[in-house]
Amino acid sequence: MNATSSRAYHREIESALEDSFLRRTLDKFAVEYRESRDRAFSEIDGPALISAIAAAKDAAAHDMDALYARFKAEAESRGAVVHLAKTASEACSIIERIAAENGVRHIVKSKSMTAEEIGLNAHLGKAGLDVCETDLGEWIVQLRHEGPSHMVMPAIHLSRSQVADEFEKATGEKQDHEDVQRLVKVARRELRPKFFAAEMGISGANFCIAETGTIAIVTNEGNGRLVNTLPPVHVALAGIDKLIPSLDDALAALRVLPRNATSQRLTAYTSFISGATPCAKSPTGRKILHIVLLDNGRSDIARDPLFSQVFRCVRCGACANVCPVFRLVGGHRMGHVYIGAIGLVLTYLFHDRKIAKQLCQNCVGCGACKEVCSGGIDLPALIQEIRARLASEDGSPAPARIASLAMRDRRLFHTLLKFMRFAQKPVSGKDGFVRHLPMAIFGKQGFKSLPALAPKAFREMWSTVKPNVASPRLKVALFAGCAQDFIYPEHLLAALKVLAAGGVEVTFPMEQTCCGLPLAMLGEAKTAERVARQNVAAFAEDCDFIVTLCASCASHLKHGYARMLGNDAEKFSAKVMDFSSFVNEHLPPEVLPLERSDEKVAYHASCHLCRALGVREAPRALIRRAANYVPSAEEESCCGFGGTFSAKFPEISAELMRKKLANVAASGATRLVLDCPGCAMQLKGGADKAGMPIAVNHIAELLQPGGLRRG
Amino acid sequence: MTLIEQFAERAEAVSARVVRVKSQAEAGDAVARERERAKTAGLSSDVARASRGIAATGTCVVATDDEETRLATMLPEISIIVLNASDIVPDLPDIAPFLRERQTVGRASYTSFITGPSRTADIERVSAIGVHGPLELVIVLVEANA
Repeated sequence: MNATSSRAYHREIESALEDSFLRRTLDKFAVEYRESRDRAFSEIDGPALISAIAAAKDAAAHDMDALYARFKAEAESRGAVVHLAKTASEACSIIERIAAENGVRHIVKSKSMTAEEIGLNAHLGKAGLDVCETDLGEWIVQLRHEGPSHMVMPAIHLSRSQVADEFEKATGEKQDHEDVQRLVKVARRELRPKFFAAEMGISGANFCIAETGTIAIVTNEGNGRLVNTLPPVHVALAGIDKLIPSLDDALAALRVLPRNATSQRLTAYTSFISGATPCAKSPTGRKILHIVLLDNGRSDIARDPLFSQVFRCVRCGACANVCPVFRLVGGHRMGHVYIGAIGLVLTYLFHDRKIAKQLCQNCVGCGACKEVCSGGIDLPALIQEIRARLASEDGSPAPARIASLAMRDRRLFHTLLKFMRFAQKPVSGKDGFVRHLPMAIFGKQGFKSLPALAPKAFREMWSTVKPNVASPRLKVALFAGCAQDFIYPEHLLAALKVLAAGGVEVTFPMEQTCCGLPLAMLGEAKTAERVARQNVAAFAEDCDFIVTLCASCASHLKHGYARMLGNDAEKFSAKVMDFSSFVNEHLPPEVLPLERSDEKVAYHASCHLCRALGVREAPRALIRRAANYVPSAEEESCCGFGGTFSAKFPEISAELMRKKLANVAASGATRLVLDCPGCAMQLKGGADKAGMPIAVNHIAELLQPGGLRRG
Repeated sequence: MTLIEQFAERAEAVSARVVRVKSQAEAGDAVARERERAKTAGLSSDVARASRGIAATGTCVVATDDEETRLATMLPEISIIVLNASDIVPDLPDIAPFLRERQTVGRASYTSFITGPSRTADIERVSAIGVHGPLELVIVLVEANA
């Protein structure tokens, strides 16, 4: 996408959401991809291989100059010419010059995201050269004069009928609009003569192997091999991030890349080209091989302590495949040239910052991408960092500035919250939702009922509700989190009962404040660090564990604080535990016997719990102890809340929420429990708005002795 | 499962056809038969020899430095590859010594890993076989000492 304003971007999103073909296709793909990826990874030790790829690529990033020198020397000793292009335009000029020197007029090209990055086709077109894409998907989008909507499946946004339309225009013949096999054969027939006619082939390269000066190219269709075999001139274009030391590194990565990209054990063709290979059509009898390595900002990125990890990207596209936002809006709205989570990051690094500024808002922060990345790149953290950098470069947008001002001082923040509670009185319903307002004022936010602030915050009740536990087994300091302190104190009250029943003493440090995650998400890094330090200080008193009922707070207190504060947060972060894990590990049935009901209860796995903290079994085990747990489809997919995301992209947030609630309804459950007040806000509000007969509760409410009070 | 069985199973999983024979002579006969069948069906065919096989992926590793050999695995509708069962290695990392030796000592310029016939899923993610490369891959697997 090319939008540089929020309004323009939202218009693009709206139109994508209305594309029913796209929605159906990507929905189906999202579910099938997960299953086939799991199958493909069941044969290998995925995490170990991913760590190995990360380590090898990190080492390569630190050793770029030496790797380049070695690669160049080896490749040139085998008859290749290696070029280093500082910028995109320099790379384009080099390739144009090679074409001119060899009297080239027709070029066949195989898939290269790097060529997309530098706008190579447009450049060569202006120079009067005829460039024909030969990868089927790339050919289709070239005929349509658009860019790929996915890094591996460029035309995934198009129906067979749309493809047939393009083929009719290209061939002047009537085409079959139903039979995909026939459409594929059109490409074979139409493009075969072009391979023979072309004087030059342009390809990308998946790996540039320094030890032997070899480029490795991974393809399925066989066009790549024709591109680098039939014409006398071959130009391979690759970013310097594709340089790796050895064949072993390439072979290790090859065990992950195809599995992650297309759930294949290996693609149909992997070609290893080491120097100028015999070529009958070349005047010398040897291929005229030029390898153009592109910097375009990469050597600066390699030196950046945080962003150097983008060098681990192997362009498998998995981060798009699992992204809930991509699933709704498609790649043309979830990237500029590069697509998916890495596309957001690379748009900032290689392309337009104004576009990146819009794109990087459109991440719900669910962490699904990080979990499947071939190189283990912490994509959500990079996206968050880009928001912070852009905020400090351009000045924060008003809402972020206001949040930052309000939250930097706990007393001011809590006073403001109490004032809001007073101000909302006329519009609050008795059921905890904002009721007495005309829907019009919510605009796009009206997809869910909005929660009202509780009449009394948990912190105001603390002195009266503090349980007395005689000879406690453990001592826990409770971290309330704003949402539960001020909106859902009933979650915390339920937790107090559970903990007391389990013989756990609870303290509530009054100086605690917002964990700071919303600030970090808004790009307000300084204030986020400030509140983090306040919390660490507030929890200085000795305790066995710091327990929170909010998955988002828990993950931020544990991992976010460690990132921001380093050693200063070490002791604090080590003690942080989410409520479910604490109860499951420390309050087993013999300590905390629960009365089990037969009610069918579904579970929503909050992103921050299942992925950020890796907590998967504990909450499910607890539900089984208290009720009849019924699994539902896609339990681990995001509910669409994403903190401030739901306010920034209500149209996307609403769709994610509907999908989630539909899956829960389909499970036959009458109650949904979760571990996060943010998800509760989203799903409770959504179920209420839609009039669905599904109660939504925090897991603490399900577990509390005496059962549920409300829901 | 033996390496040979795994290779055959995984090659077939990606739509290759594996013809198992007991000697080089039988391999020659099998190739002739396959080429004759192709001809009868009005399809082009060509044959190449694999240097190694990879069991875990069902892959044929073909030394394609020679342009004719390369084209023999690219252009025809039916591609036939002869592989000695004794040349099968377990998995991708195990092929490294062979590749390294070829590229350093042998100064080889082009090695192809071929795993099934050419394929795409670029239109509506519908799997289609035979895009720009062969429509069919026949692997003649020679178990000479079995």
